[in-house]
Amino acid sequence: MPRVLLLLPTTTYRTQAFMEAACRLGVEVTVGSEEASTMTGLNPAGLVSLDFANPQRAAEQVAEFAVRHPIAAVVPVDDQVAEVGAAICERLGLPSNSVESAAATRNKYRMRELLARAGVPQPEYRLFLLAAEPAELARQVTYPCVVKPLSLAASQGVMRADNEVEFVAAVARLAAILKSYNGHFLAEHFIPGPEVAVEGLLTSGRLRVLAIFDKPDPLDGPFFEETIYVTPSRLPDAIQQQIAAITADACCALGLVHGPVHAELRLPTFGDLKSQISNLRSRSPHVIEVNPRSIGGLCSRVLRFGTGLSLEELIIRHAIDDNFAPPDREVRAAGVMMIPIPRAGEFQGVRGLESAKAVPGIEDVTISAHRGQRLVPLPEGSLYLGFIFARGRSPEIVEAALRAAHAALEFQIDS
Amino acid sequence: MTETELQSIKIMADPKSATTCLFMVDRPVYPDSSFYFGSNESAEGSPLAERMFAIPGVTNVLIAHDRVTVGKASVEEWLPIARQVGQAIRAHIASGQPAVSEEMKQRIPSADEIRNRVQQVLDTRINPAVAAHGGHVGLIDVQGNSVFIQLGGGCQGCGQADVTLKQGIEVEIRAAVPEVGEILDTTDHAAGRNPYYTPSKK
Repeated sequence: MPRVLLLLPTTTYRTQAFMEAACRLGVEVTVGSEEASTMTGLNPAGLVSLDFANPQRAAEQVAEFAVRHPIAAVVPVDDQVAEVGAAICERLGLPSNSVESAAATRNKYRMRELLARAGVPQPEYRLFLLAAEPAELARQVTYPCVVKPLSLAASQGVMRADNEVEFVAAVARLAAILKSYNGHFLAEHFIPGPEVAVEGLLTSGRLRVLAIFDKPDPLDGPFFEETIYVTPSRLPDAIQQQIAAITADACCALGLVHGPVHAELRLPTFGDLKSQISNLRSRSPHVIEVNPRSIGGLCSRVLRFGTGLSLEELIIRHAIDDNFAPPDREVRAAGVMMIPIPRAGEFQGVRGLESAKAVPGIEDVTISAHRGQRLVPLPEGSLYLGFIFARGRSPEIVEAALRAAHAALEFQIDS
Repeated sequence: MTETELQSIKIMADPKSATTCLFMVDRPVYPDSSFYFGSNESAEGSPLAERMFAIPGVTNVLIAHDRVTVGKASVEEWLPIARQVGQAIRAHIASGQPAVSEEMKQRIPSADEIRNRVQQVLDTRINPAVAAHGGHVGLIDVQGNSVFIQLGGGCQGCGQADVTLKQGIEVEIRAAVPEVGEILDTTDHAAGRNPYYTPSKK
């Protein structure tokens, strides 16, 4: 039976989904984490601690491990371990993205540079030093803009600024989040318009789009907290094809060739109709980012393929067998709501859970924050309160169910 | 059973990997019970398992209620083997024989014996290990050969609880008590107040 190395950071949301998928597939599993498991002594073939901060060192550790327990495939479960996964695959001679391409996706400036070089539509951007005089930088930016760290994930530290005053405040706030004035940040032109997420799978550089999610809540700032994802997309087929084509171009530009891909794109709506028609390029979907991983949090639960395969089963099977052709996503619409953190404080619990679960179309409501946990909203925070999952005949029904379930929940948070 | 009745038995094959395929039957083949056969020898006397192992390439079989999970060593296509498995399941249902021999059923220890042996594993192997993260694992119940456990302390709500469960607790229990069927985690992880690892978006 093939042995799969799952690279699971200790704080990832993805542990349960990948462990269950591996069990269902009946593959041998070794879990690689940055911390030693309490069970390592009892199951040395099933658990290994790796230096995630040093990809080449981790690759050597796995090469030594693989002498005793041969590894058939490596699955990095999220973007924290994409580069480590690539280094391990390179060392073991397994198909994967190159270390350079995986590393490029972890640095938003490097990503922008590679996309720009390939002419992939994206927001205009500037790289600035955090330590530079912010008032001076503020005069060099076109507004509205988005201030972004180079490396954080899931909108942490991402802020919109509509003028010089807001820009200066955003930079100071970002430095506080990063706890440092060392290093750089990006200032990107804000693109108004709806945003979509693309879930895909790359095989030898060919992109197979698994799902396109609409994000019906506008992401206009000042912070960019993601909430509802619904698939299939309600956008016209021609635009969906354009989204898929630009995502494929972006993967190619970044050198991504193998495994799961999660991309975020904006559909610009600026200008009146006449100016949009005269400038077709500005109407193309613009790439916000592309990552060599699957959808984050617990969101993958809404995706089912063929006779009920989960996204994680599909990813593991693809990692074992290059020739595996993923079945299509189920016909029904599906959606997830990442429950936003309404305010800072200590989480005490939630009322209305049963009412929320009873909303027609709702499959589950999972509260992932634990009682007593300190909740910190964006842009400083990096947690979800929980997730609401729905399925239904149409995207409209699914979106309505998610909103109704969320409205039924009352969060108890002590200030 | 006539040929028409035989063909009316619906069996859905769901290949899980190159080496494992699940066959879902439209009626129970081993009602409300499960049994795992890891070798041809272990299948001796159990009619459905014998039929499965008679198919070239089959290496293991799990029979559970209305599902038969078949494992094979080769990476060849499932289709030819799946057809033979389907025929064998239909022939078994037509025969009216039991899926698992009485002798094999008798080999399953009593719930009390399983309880004692699992508790010993928890006391001597598991709990001393998870104590390092302020965790503990309790045995809640044993029903038939199904074991119900509960995680507490640092394990309750921990982002790595599934790894601890599947790569540690289950492995240890199955090694010490191979007759155990399902191992079910009854923990209310949402109620955990002090999980050792808390998931975050970073």
